[in-house]
Formats: sequence, structure tokens, C-alpha cells
Amino acid sequence: MTTKNGSQQRLLILGAILVAVIAAFAGWSVMSKPAAQAQGAKRTKVVFWNEMTGPAQQQLNTFVKDFNQSQSKYEVVSEFEGNYNEAVQKIINTHGTDASPAVFQSMDISTSQIHHTGYTTPVQKFIDEDHYNVNQIAAGARAFYANKGTQLSMPFNTSQPVLYYNATLLKKYKITPPPVNPSYSDITRVATQLTDRSHKKVQGMTVEIYGWLFEQFMANAGVSLANQEDGHAGTPTAVNFTNAATVKTMKWIQDNLKKGDFVNYGAGANAQNNETASFLSGRLGMFMQSSASIGQLTTGNQDQLGITYYPHPDGQKSNGVAIGGASLWISNDKPSNVQRGAWEFIKYLMTAKSQAQWQVATGYLALNKDSQKEAVLQNLYKKLPATKVPGEQLRAATPNATNSGIFLQGLIQERNLTQTAMEQIYNGSDIQKSLATAQKSMNAYIQGNNRANGY
Amino acid sequence: MQQEITPASKPSLKPKTLNQANAKGFNLHVNDKWYALAFLGPSVLILGVFVFYPMLRTLYLSLFLTNNVGRPTVFIGLKNYVNLLTSSAYQASLQATAVYVIGVVAFTLILGLLLAQMAVRKLAGIQWFRTIFSATMGVSVSVAAIFWLFIFSPSIGLFDQIGTLLHLPLVQWLTTPGPAMIAVIISTVWMNLGFTFLILFGALQMVPQPLYEAAAIEGASPSYQFFHVTLPMISPTLFFTSTVTLIGAFKSFGLIDLMTAGGPNNATNLMVYQVYRDAFLNGNYGLASAESVILAVIIALFTLLQFKFLEKRVTY
Repeated sequence: MTTKNGSQQRLLILGAILVAVIAAFAGWSVMSKPAAQAQGAKRTKVVFWNEMTGPAQQQLNTFVKDFNQSQSKYEVVSEFEGNYNEAVQKIINTHGTDASPAVFQSMDISTSQIHHTGYTTPVQKFIDEDHYNVNQIAAGARAFYANKGTQLSMPFNTSQPVLYYNATLLKKYKITPPPVNPSYSDITRVATQLTDRSHKKVQGMTVEIYGWLFEQFMANAGVSLANQEDGHAGTPTAVNFTNAATVKTMKWIQDNLKKGDFVNYGAGANAQNNETASFLSGRLGMFMQSSASIGQLTTGNQDQLGITYYPHPDGQKSNGVAIGGASLWISNDKPSNVQRGAWEFIKYLMTAKSQAQWQVATGYLALNKDSQKEAVLQNLYKKLPATKVPGEQLRAATPNATNSGIFLQGLIQERNLTQTAMEQIYNGSDIQKSLATAQKSMNAYIQGNNRANGY
Repeated sequence: MQQEITPASKPSLKPKTLNQANAKGFNLHVNDKWYALAFLGPSVLILGVFVFYPMLRTLYLSLFLTNNVGRPTVFIGLKNYVNLLTSSAYQASLQATAVYVIGVVAFTLILGLLLAQMAVRKLAGIQWFRTIFSATMGVSVSVAAIFWLFIFSPSIGLFDQIGTLLHLPLVQWLTTPGPAMIAVIISTVWMNLGFTFLILFGALQMVPQPLYEAAAIEGASPSYQFFHVTLPMISPTLFFTSTVTLIGAFKSFGLIDLMTAGGPNNATNLMVYQVYRDAFLNGNYGLASAESVILAVIIALFTLLQFKFLEKRVTY
């Protein structure tokens, strides 16, 4: 009898503890709300989600602080949301709840997806209301985030894929540097000379297994990746990976890998870290990466850094490459005064002064044309002339359907598939077959996705 | 006694029921429904919200195409399953998972047992070794991943430096498909070893010493003792660790994500990783749900098979 009572008592105590824990959680969530609201009582709170890390995060936080001090109407609260890929799903899943952001940063290849959720207000609306002079923002960057004449989001952290070379190493082995707008064979020449003259102590060149680079090879050759003019004319129904230009590019890389003048560093963050480490230690002569890496490649680097435009196929002019990076979107689940605050913040980030600071601090390009006159940027160019090149590449290209990004949903999938194809090709597989496999999978994905969304 | 209670009679008025002994002042027979509800309620609620509803929802979603905000829009029946099972990429993922799981379970158990067998001997300083052997239990996945990434790194890696000293050909551990699988298996086995060692070590210590003495008197060799005394005696623990390791191996995510992210050429793209990719990167919830269901069925099947066949050989 006593044991029975004892166990009952114990159960009751356990139950009481459980209730207490639940009550504590409920109480905490109720209590924490007014506290958070009290802070922004006078000012309108504008939640800003971003995915910036390192120096970019520091600079962004400075911008937020300065913006909050510059006026008294709005209070921007910056929240870091992890990596680009995961942020997209978070943005979609929190829409319509208190947790959702008023303004958020989302990566280049999510543009079509974010637009089609219908969860955002195109910034075009605010551009029109304010008669904001959009022409001061670089056209190539704007085109990427626009659809049929409507600016969907504001380009923010913008980079260009470029080719880096170690100018000091080239001088040491008496090799003529590649021209500023090189063709494939220009690069092959430098890679071969580096490998031969250093007796294989220096690796000539690497092209990271990266879907972004794959897309840029096509853009620079003037070839559409998806039909409907890369989606700029309508919803794409198929992709084209097996075109002649892409096959030629892949063959160029595969042949050079076989000869040993190019090396394979693999895919992903590890590849990026390893190729950067090799480049900085003078064991790799050339590689291709985002212009946003300039900061990392110049600080503490004894050797002189050389930068060229993205290589283009032989026998044709370069069409220009698309930008990379991310843009700023305004959610439509917030009241108009919050949206207004979001827009004011975006305008603040796009001023000539902010953009110049942004480029100096991060290596992302200053998008405001007047930024070029700012003293901080002029100083940077004087100190490191090569840092001019990515901006020049961006301004040199006339935006057209093939170099303004791909307006297609499921580009993360596309990158996965093209990277798998690249991996196979780098390991010696049949080029046509590898690309055809990726193309078939992507087309099936597009079909299902179009059907699910009722396009 | 139960039959005596007619619908008309109030049970509380019954002077003598089975519950009489327990009931002081109130009749448990009347109240036990409420007791049951009060005690089961919280767990039913929590399980319902966090286990059963998601399970049913996953099943439901797996029969649909989902649109770009994750809502199910087009009912396609079992097409997600058919597409998956006939796709060569998914078959490769199944195959990779099989290789990984078998490798991890086999090496974890063999090495864990070996370490435990060594540590059970009473030698000077053995305590120190016991601590070292179980140390990986305290290592988090992210730390382990960084540690192994350094070891397998192509330019500064320990493995390749040793290889260079011995004039072995350079292996690009994480960028070639076969070695990458070996690398993640080694890392996972290393991670698992601490826990497996500790459990098996405990089991070995519980084997009664007189059994060995008797066997020794009979003239049984050490290996005979191991296979006919030790193994049968620790078989319940061995069974437990094999089941736990198997399920754990099917669910491996952290090391894969941090070391290879499913590459190179999808060589380490295990089933769980594919689910993560489809749900959280591609936003393809219908397909990801179908993959989850397949994974759950496979794990359930293997666990069942293990219970059916292995348990028969377990001596309790």
C-alpha cells in the first residue's frame, strides 16, 4: 500500500514538474514579447535578415548602426540567418508570422523562386513613388534582379567572377601575363609555361567544380542555359547543357587536366579554401573565383596579385558574365510604415558613400556610379590597381538575356547537377554523356516544378 | 466480481470491490479513467504533436508535388516513389548508404570489441588507456570533422605526409569517390568507438571470472575461451550496440555535411543527406518526404531483421 502510494506520489510530482516546465516556457514567451516591443516603441522596428559573415558582416552592422543614428523614425534590427541556401527556406517558412523579416537579403539564384512566392513587394513600387534615380545603380547588376521591366529587388553585395594570377610568379619564370580579357588559349599558354618552367613545382591553373563558374562559361560564350531566353521572356521548360560551346569548354578543361597543366581541387568550401591556400603560398599560378575574394588575396600576400576578366572561348568576343552575390527584398506581410522603413534603409545602403565603403571593406563592387569619385575608393585603386578590374568588367558588358542571370526556379538543383557532371568530366568521363545525364534530370525537375506551381 | 456490478448499481456504493484495498475515501475504479488521462495526456499530446502528426504529414506530402512555398498542390500518387526508385542517382545513393552502414557497423563493433578486450586486462596504467579509448565520446561532430579534414587535407594532411615519407602515391582523399567513402567511414568509426568501447568494456567486466577458470582447467585455449565463453556472455550487449550503431549509421549527417557535403560525384551522398538536400536546399518537400518514408521503412526493416535473426543467437 505504501509503495503504491509512493509511486502515485512520485508520478504526481513528475506531472507537477512537467506542468511547471511547460508553464515556465509559456510564461517566458509571453514575457519576452513586451520587452522586445518596448524597445522599438517610439521607432518603427524594421527586421533585416542577412547572410553575411566575416568583414562583410562587420561592415553591414556598421551600416545598420549608422542608419539608426542618422534618423529617428526607424530602428533596423539586423539578424544573421546562416548560409544563403538555408535562409531561402527560412524566409519562405516564416512568411506571415511575427518572426518574418521586413527586409531580407537573398542570393542571386533564388531570385525567380522568391519572386514567384508572391511574398514580396517589388522595389519598383518604391522607386516609382520616390522618383528614385535608378540609373545611378550599375545596369548589369539591376538587370539580374529585374523581370520584364520591373525591378524586383535591389542588388546589394555584388561580385564578378574573375581570374586571379600570381604576377610575381609569372615574372620569376619570365612568362608574359595573360591579357586583361583573355581567351581560353591565353590561359592554356600561361598554365603550360608555369608548369613546365617551374618543373611542376607550380600548378598552372584550376577551375573549381562550381555550378556558378559553369553558368558563367555559358554566359560569356553568349549561350542560354535555359530556354525562353534564360527565362527572361517566359517560364523556362527545359535547359540546354549539351550545346557546342559548353562541350568545348569542358573539353578544354578536361584536356588540360589530363596533360597536368590544370589541377582539380574538387568542389565546395574545402576546394575554395585549399585553392586559396595554394595560391597564397605560391604553389598555384591561376584560379577563378568571385571578385569578393580580393580582400583575402591581398592582405598579407607578399606576391603581386594579377586580375583578368573571365576567360572567353577562342574566336569570339566575350559576351560578359553575370553578377553573383545577393539582393535586398521587401516583404509584403508588413504594414506600409515598416515597408517604408525597409526602403529607406535600402536607399541608405545604396548611396555613393556607403557603396564605396562597402567595396573597400569587402571586395564586393560599389554599384553606385558616383562611388568611383569617393576618396576611399580612389585610395584603394591607387594602392592596388588590380582591384579596378572587376568593376571594369561589370561596366564593359552590355546587359542582354544571356549575361543577366537565369530566371529559373531550382537553380540550386541545377548547380548540384552541373557540379556532378563537372566532377565526372574532371575524372575523365565522356563529356556529352555526363552533360546529357544532368540535363535530363534537370528537365524532369523543371517539369515537376512547373506542374506543381501551375505554370 | 466484475459481473456483479449491474449498470443500475452505483459502483461507489458497492462495499466490496477489487479496488477496496486501494480506495481510501474514493473509488479508484471510477477515477482511474481520469488518472489514465492525466498521466498519459502529456505524453500523448507531445508524441502526437511531435511524432505522429509529422509522420502522417510526411506520408501525405510524399504523395504530392509541392510548389515553391512548400504546399502540396498536385496529387501524383506513388509517382515520387517510382521516380526515386528508378532513378540511377537515387540507386547510387542507396548503394552508398549500404556500403557506409555495413562498413561503419562492422568496423565499429570489431574495433570496439578489440579495444575492450585489451582494456579489460589488469595491467599497470590501464586506467589511462581506458580513458583514452572512451575519449571520443566527448568530441562533438564539428570538432571531429575539422580534425579529420586536417588529416585528409591534400596539401597539409597527415596521411599524405606519411605517404610521402614512405614514397606512396598521393591520395586525394576527399576529392576522389572511393577514398572519400573510406575517409568518412574511418571518421565515423572513430566517432562511434568511444561509446561502443565503453558499453562492451562494461559487458566484459560482467562476465563471471569462474567461467574462465573452469575453461582454463578444461584446457581451453584463449581463442576458444573468447568464442565460447566471452562472446555468448556479452551477446546481449553486442546485439544492443549493433542495433544502435546501425540506426546511427543510417542517420549520419553531421560528418558528411562538414567533410564532403555528399560529394565527390555524389559518392558520399547518403540517403539522409539526400533528404536534407531536397527539403532544405531544393525546397522539394514532396520528394524529400518520399525519401524519408523509404529511409524509415528500411531502418524499420533492418531493425526487425536484426531482432528476428540476431536475437535468437543472443544468450541472456
